[in-house]
Amino acid sequence: MLMLPELTIIGTAFLLIIVDLFLHEHRKAVLGGIAMAGVLLALGFTIGMMPQSGELFGGRFAVDSVTWWFKLLFLLASLITLAISIDLLDGRIDAKHMALQARGEYYAIMLFSLAGAMYLASARDLVTLYVSLELATIPLYILTAWKRDTLSSESGLKYVILGALASAFLLYGLGLMFGLTGEMNLEAIGRSVTPSPTFWLAAAMVTAGISFKLTLFPFHMWAAEVYQGAPAPVTAYLSVASKAAGLALMFQVFYRMMGHQLMAWAWPLAILAALTMTVGNLAAIVQNNIKRFMAFSAISQAGYLILGFLGNSDEGIPSMLYYMLVYILTNLAAFAVIVWYSNQTGRERIEEYRGLARVNPLVALAMMIALFSLAGIPPLSGFVGKFFLFSIASKAGFHWLVAVAAVNSTISLYYYLRIIRQMYIEPVGQETRALSISPVLAVTLAITTLATGAIGIIPMVYETVSAQTISWFLPFIH
Amino acid sequence: MGLVSWLIILPFLTAMAVLMVPAKNWKAIRWISLTGTGMHLMLTAFTTMKFWALASQDIPAMKTATMTKLYFVERVTWFQTLGIDYFVGLDGISMSMVILTSIIIFAGTLASWNVEERTKEFFVLLLTLVTGVFGVFMSFDLFLFFMFYEVAVLPMYLLIGIWGTGPKEYAAMKLTLMLMVGSALILVGMLAVYHASGLHTFDLIRLATVNYPASLQTWVFPMFFLGFGVLGALYPFHTWSPDGHASAPTAVSMLHAGVLMKLGGYGALRIAVYLLPEGAKEWGLFFMGLTTINIVYGSFGAIMQKDLKYFTAYSSVSHCGFVLFGVAAMNLMGFKGAIIQMFSHGIMTGLFFALIGMVYGRTHTRIIPDMGGLAKVMPWLAVCFYVGGMASLGLPGFAGFVAESHVFMGGFFGNNFMNPVAMKTLTIIATVSIVVTAVYVLRGLATVFQGPITNHHFHELTDATLTEKLSTGLLVATLAVVGFMPWYFIDLIEASIFPFVNRLQASGTMVAFH
Repeated sequence: MLMLPELTIIGTAFLLIIVDLFLHEHRKAVLGGIAMAGVLLALGFTIGMMPQSGELFGGRFAVDSVTWWFKLLFLLASLITLAISIDLLDGRIDAKHMALQARGEYYAIMLFSLAGAMYLASARDLVTLYVSLELATIPLYILTAWKRDTLSSESGLKYVILGALASAFLLYGLGLMFGLTGEMNLEAIGRSVTPSPTFWLAAAMVTAGISFKLTLFPFHMWAAEVYQGAPAPVTAYLSVASKAAGLALMFQVFYRMMGHQLMAWAWPLAILAALTMTVGNLAAIVQNNIKRFMAFSAISQAGYLILGFLGNSDEGIPSMLYYMLVYILTNLAAFAVIVWYSNQTGRERIEEYRGLARVNPLVALAMMIALFSLAGIPPLSGFVGKFFLFSIASKAGFHWLVAVAAVNSTISLYYYLRIIRQMYIEPVGQETRALSISPVLAVTLAITTLATGAIGIIPMVYETVSAQTISWFLPFIH
Repeated sequence: MGLVSWLIILPFLTAMAVLMVPAKNWKAIRWISLTGTGMHLMLTAFTTMKFWALASQDIPAMKTATMTKLYFVERVTWFQTLGIDYFVGLDGISMSMVILTSIIIFAGTLASWNVEERTKEFFVLLLTLVTGVFGVFMSFDLFLFFMFYEVAVLPMYLLIGIWGTGPKEYAAMKLTLMLMVGSALILVGMLAVYHASGLHTFDLIRLATVNYPASLQTWVFPMFFLGFGVLGALYPFHTWSPDGHASAPTAVSMLHAGVLMKLGGYGALRIAVYLLPEGAKEWGLFFMGLTTINIVYGSFGAIMQKDLKYFTAYSSVSHCGFVLFGVAAMNLMGFKGAIIQMFSHGIMTGLFFALIGMVYGRTHTRIIPDMGGLAKVMPWLAVCFYVGGMASLGLPGFAGFVAESHVFMGGFFGNNFMNPVAMKTLTIIATVSIVVTAVYVLRGLATVFQGPITNHHFHELTDATLTEKLSTGLLVATLAVVGFMPWYFIDLIEASIFPFVNRLQASGTMVAFH
């Protein structure tokens, strides 16, 4: 059963909606547990079917090694996000007004988005690809506006409008691809397409659509507003799962459809990467709201991520997958702290983190490790991941880009240090006191932080990704 | 786990042990730190003995070698697909730097005996930093090297930011960012070399067997040299160093000026010159020029300072200039001088910062004109200060003299691929600093320690405590030992310098100056 993980997720989502109807309000805490159990089950199925690859529905749905890894990433991201959400929805909340309503639907909608992302990784023709992408995206619009206050609704609306625009770009590009070749199957398009002005127009359109999902310059603008307005766990989910979905889409389009022309597309990608990381980093310096700040940090991370596409290097694919894994763990560790802090105190400004290291030393330590990993400080996994990506760019001959990226890492260190300075160096504010942390969140935080440290030092994770995916793209480029 | 791994991991284990102790037992914490660093010092002494026995026999054989010979090598495959190994070992240069670091951290722990605010975090960070330093000196895999390099730099931000004085946040941020930009340059060069070699390995020794295309060397060499130069306070990238040193707490200044700045000189020699000899020849004179500015500018800068820490920091800029000057002179004498200077300056400046911390702890001022006649109330500290000062102005009998004479001879006699007139001229300009150094050292010391006691509060001050005497005494003794018996030290490093010279020679026409 190749589709078992997806079916499990969808089944869990429907189960949640139905169970929600019959539960008394104070029993609804169980819903989070059901959602997590569903994701865990799907994770089990996914891991269980690792050696398997194959296709269904006449090749419209297929599983191979890279698909498998993407599904693992999506499930992992969702699992951690759910654990973080539980704190906001059912946790021991001081600031009651921050609580979200309609828990059952919240979990169900999040799972639908997850299912969409998983189908996206398995899609093998234009229609499946597009439909699964919308299934992954539309629930996110709803989740963004979940809080129903002005800010949240506004950001939800912005997200819908810009998202629709991006979909239009993508559809136009995909339509042109179909027009050029008359094929629906992605790999068939890749085999028969030849470079022509129309093809490059289509490629530009598709790249624009992907750039929106991955928050690449100049399609990154929505991220800051949406991240700030959305409820914190949704922001966390957006920053990792939505980005991983964007990467999956990029793999589908760039390798399967444009694999033969990828070498020629390297320069535009390099410039896109350089601009994205620079703009993201420079904008992050001046932010005061921590969620906005994380939005720009996420934008710059996307810039590093696409270095892996340069030069058709066989190490590019494992490097990108590994970095995505690292990024998911690290970013969610940071967001776990952010969600917890804003949940407990209602505070979201960077200055309001002052003195955290004195009252909650372990939480501050976890935050510091996550931020250092995002900044690429060794021996944390963020450094190792970035190093591999920079190595790809260097191998492709883009030495200037490595320099830009490395200097950008330094700039990013500057603004990550701003938070660390508030937590560690600034004196404790009068109103700061030790805050309690729920067991679920504490465990989540501990696991993500330890993983952030461990997967950079223990080579096994990268070696496994590498062994399984290193030759995956060869059929698409030869 | 072998000897070298223990040398790297011991400070980290100590940090972990400190982490286990509740923060309120701060007295226990400093004892644990002292035990850990003391054990490290003993382990280093033991390793040195063993190393000596092995390495001294190899000197004749190494005279013609182009490949560095490593001792106590440990190698474990790490990221196999990328050719990254955990590859550590020791050669003479590493050994001398390990001895330096081990002495400085032990003395630094003693000098931080009175850190009572957030003691636990202080020692954890300090020991983590020092783990990074040891790692850099003993790793021979570029990836590992780079990893430790950043571990050695980053804790500095918090150490200065939390326990520093004055404009500490500004200084900490400036220092961190400038050093990180330096390491960004190194990263670019490192990856370029890795891919250009085609060997698919980060093994430094194997990478140094390749003759890289001249076009690559031309642009990668300055990347490396500037990248390491930032840490080695190369003009005009030295500006982080006076601010950083002045704001840092005592032990951190000691470690930073004493050891961390040496990573710059070490990297410039070990990686820039060794990997890219042709680039080195092309750029040698340019960097000699920059380092000459370093030497002269630093010493004039020191004359103008009123604050004892800024005074020492500028003198460090000048003295670290000697290190890079020796490296840029590119001959046996120059390299030898650079390494002895790294060692002697490390000990000397560690001593200075320790003493400044102790004096400041008593007088609560670091402004030179505000002090006077302190020798009457704190004779021990005064004597140590004078010893450091004499070593710093290059008085024969101390390590500084051995180092500076080597460096100047290296610069003066030159090599046969750089313009001899230019090298001689630069060397002569650089020697000006000897005079200037004598002026500022003698004037500074005379103001602070001699004459009548200028402030009646100073009458109540006390001399060094036992821990302080231990800390400074150790450093003074080291200075004297290397000064009086430099041949032991030179024996330690000489065999390991030949490969650098021979590789330079092999890539062109050069006659080593002996």
